[in-house]
Amino acid sequence: MRAIRPFLLPGVVAIASLVLVSIASAGAPADDPATGPWVLEVSQATPTPDVPLETAPPLPSPIAHPGDASSTGCVDCHAKVDARQAGIADEWRASVHGREGVGCADCHGGDPTSDEITVGMARDSGYLGVPDREDTVGLCGGCHANAERMRPYQVATDQYSKYFSSVHGQRLLTAGDDRVAICTDCHGSHDVKPASDPTAAAYPRNVPALCASCHADAQKMQPYGIPTDQLDLYKLSVHGIQLLEKQDLRAPSCASCHGSHAAKPPRSDEVVAVCGNCHTATQALYEESAHSRLEGVGPKCWTCHGTHDVSEPTERLFLHEGGVPDYLCATCHSPTDQSLRLEMDRFEDPADRRCDTCHHTRSLIYSQVEAIAGAVGGARDAYDTALGRIEDAAALGMIVTDADVAAQEAKTELIKARAAVHTTKLTTISALTDATVAKAGEAEALATAKLAESDFRRQAMVVVIALIALNVLVLVSLRRRLHATP
Amino acid sequence: MAADVRSTRTPGGATGWVEERLHLGPFVNALLHVPIPRDARTFYLGGITLFLFGIQVVTGTLLALYYSPTPDAAYESVLSITSDVSFGWLIRSVHHWAANLMILFMALHVLRIFVQAAYKYPRELTWIVGGGLLLITIGFGFTGYLLPWDQRAYWATVVGTEIAGGVPLIGPSLLLLLRGGAEVSEATLGRFFGIHVLVLPLLLGGLLALHLLFVHQQGLANPRHAEPRPGRPVPARPPERLKPFFPDYILDEVIAWYAVLAVLVILASLFPVGLEPKADPLVTPEHIKPEWYFLAVYQLLKLVPETVGVVAPVALVLVIVVLPLLDRGGEVLPRRRPIAIACAVLLLVGLAVLTYFGAQV
Repeated sequence: MRAIRPFLLPGVVAIASLVLVSIASAGAPADDPATGPWVLEVSQATPTPDVPLETAPPLPSPIAHPGDASSTGCVDCHAKVDARQAGIADEWRASVHGREGVGCADCHGGDPTSDEITVGMARDSGYLGVPDREDTVGLCGGCHANAERMRPYQVATDQYSKYFSSVHGQRLLTAGDDRVAICTDCHGSHDVKPASDPTAAAYPRNVPALCASCHADAQKMQPYGIPTDQLDLYKLSVHGIQLLEKQDLRAPSCASCHGSHAAKPPRSDEVVAVCGNCHTATQALYEESAHSRLEGVGPKCWTCHGTHDVSEPTERLFLHEGGVPDYLCATCHSPTDQSLRLEMDRFEDPADRRCDTCHHTRSLIYSQVEAIAGAVGGARDAYDTALGRIEDAAALGMIVTDADVAAQEAKTELIKARAAVHTTKLTTISALTDATVAKAGEAEALATAKLAESDFRRQAMVVVIALIALNVLVLVSLRRRLHATP
Repeated sequence: MAADVRSTRTPGGATGWVEERLHLGPFVNALLHVPIPRDARTFYLGGITLFLFGIQVVTGTLLALYYSPTPDAAYESVLSITSDVSFGWLIRSVHHWAANLMILFMALHVLRIFVQAAYKYPRELTWIVGGGLLLITIGFGFTGYLLPWDQRAYWATVVGTEIAGGVPLIGPSLLLLLRGGAEVSEATLGRFFGIHVLVLPLLLGGLLALHLLFVHQQGLANPRHAEPRPGRPVPARPPERLKPFFPDYILDEVIAWYAVLAVLVILASLFPVGLEPKADPLVTPEHIKPEWYFLAVYQLLKLVPETVGVVAPVALVLVIVVLPLLDRGGEVLPRRRPIAIACAVLLLVGLAVLTYFGAQV
């Protein structure tokens, strides 16, 4: 029997499987991840089955109460109760709700026109107190899913329906599990800020930390048996570095791939479209490939690039270094009918995200992989050599603008060649690598000419200095003769 | 008989042909055949500065043949000069290095004059005119820096003109005058080019002629003795030993010029001047630094309020220019002028420290 290692499985599959589990268990959360029936699904992992969604419950109406935005009866008293409540009042005033006239009674009910506790907070007057977590989504949705109410603010009104399509919402709905994330966990309660506010937890740059506040918490995630290392992996990924270190908001956060209100891990067969949202050209190239034609069992973006730990793609992604892996038929073929299958566990370790993880050395495709790796590697070497020459010439003070332009063109061809690897077509790739080598050769020749010119300048300098020295000698001799004259 | 005498005095050949018509002999003799104190120690610094100015005139004229003073074409024209024009890289590099050396040798010249107290009676006017030459040379550096229209040129000028805008009272008007508008733009490049190739050379040429005329009229100062003043007793001392300016001094000067020329050739060959990316007003470089001779002011501005940082260097330059009117003592030997020498040492150390820290990133 295979070893059951749920904590080591890719987050994508694990989180996706949660949906199935949630519905299957419909009520009590699994306390022991090692014994739940869903664990088997995780270990088999491919493909994630479609799960019928429970539809969102009917949208509750907004809370009706006397008074309007100018009714400040609640705040007048509560701000004086103690420091904590005064702080809540301050947070509310600074929040987007406070600024837009959404008051206490809109969420808590009651009568904000009264200063009397027996009136303002009377159950008879509709006072609800602190809303239950299960009721909060409907409470927020009462306004936020109302297109007419949201019209002045030009914000989306589909969060309510999206939320109930998410892993979080489905679990809340079907299992009554109120430990899942609800609106206030991400947006705050009294201190709600627009997601465009850089200090908001839901601001794109802050989203990884926001999601990790639960998903990196081993205790919180223990009942669900999903990994907690996504943030650590993401921080080291090209996406994480770009968003968190370089503060480039174009880079994806968790929500870019999983969705925000509709948070759910993309299924294996959805991954290409998800990555293709940004990597449009690469997706088009991939769809030309033999891999794409294999559909469900074909390798997807994650197979070579990983999920949370996407690293800088280089030529090392082609083949294992220092020896080929051990092949078992079952690696790629079903033991029962020999049909192809994609075993996700095989690609968990970044060192195994290689072409020869599937294409063994005696296969015909392996030689094609070698040819592609050789062509792209050769193009990269030619480009690196040209850059080295240009750097040498620049270090000698030479102006290398023309060589830089040629190198830039070579880089463009190299990028195209690397992208064309997704087509798996050797001829397409070779045409681009040949163009890279040609352009890199041009750049190198221009830089070499600059180096030769620099040599000439130095040699000419020696000659000129020698001539100057000769002149000085003549003048010194004249001087001596002059001083020798009585 | 008279005809015979004239024919024996007039040299033959082309010189004789010209002399016969213009009678320049006495004028040239008056210029060249002057005695100078044998004890004079000029270290040829003034002459070297003059030589470097000559280099700048020649190389600058050659550069102007290819340079286009518009933002659209300036960068490309400098790139073309450096990459395509035969020996353009050499001309531009020599122009660049000679500019730096000119500032350096002028500073050393000023220092030499100060230490030897050659600014005192009767050479006060020579010093003041020299102060004008120093300011004009710095003006050359400031206006010439913008002309390549690359990122460094553009942003150094943005910062430099902003500093000028910090001068009390006249700052905003000065900023507008320098830039020709609110921003460093085509108008700025046009006027900087005009000032660099026309206004400043004319001014410098005029003041230089005046400076040399004064030097010629007064002769070189003797660093050992103060010049005797009329109406005051002349201390008894042995007769001053003299040597001819031509050819003795000139010969030594030319040897010094050759040495500087060799340094220029080496600098231009081993460290040719480069070019950064084209000026982009929308992309501010991470670190903007002025030329080394502005680093002290640049660093001072980081340490003190802007008004102080702008006013202090201007006041210092003014004090230096009018120094002969402030320091009218009769002593010339450094050991007998401890306060003046101490002030100079303090100033130099201060400038060196500010320049050092200004050069750090």
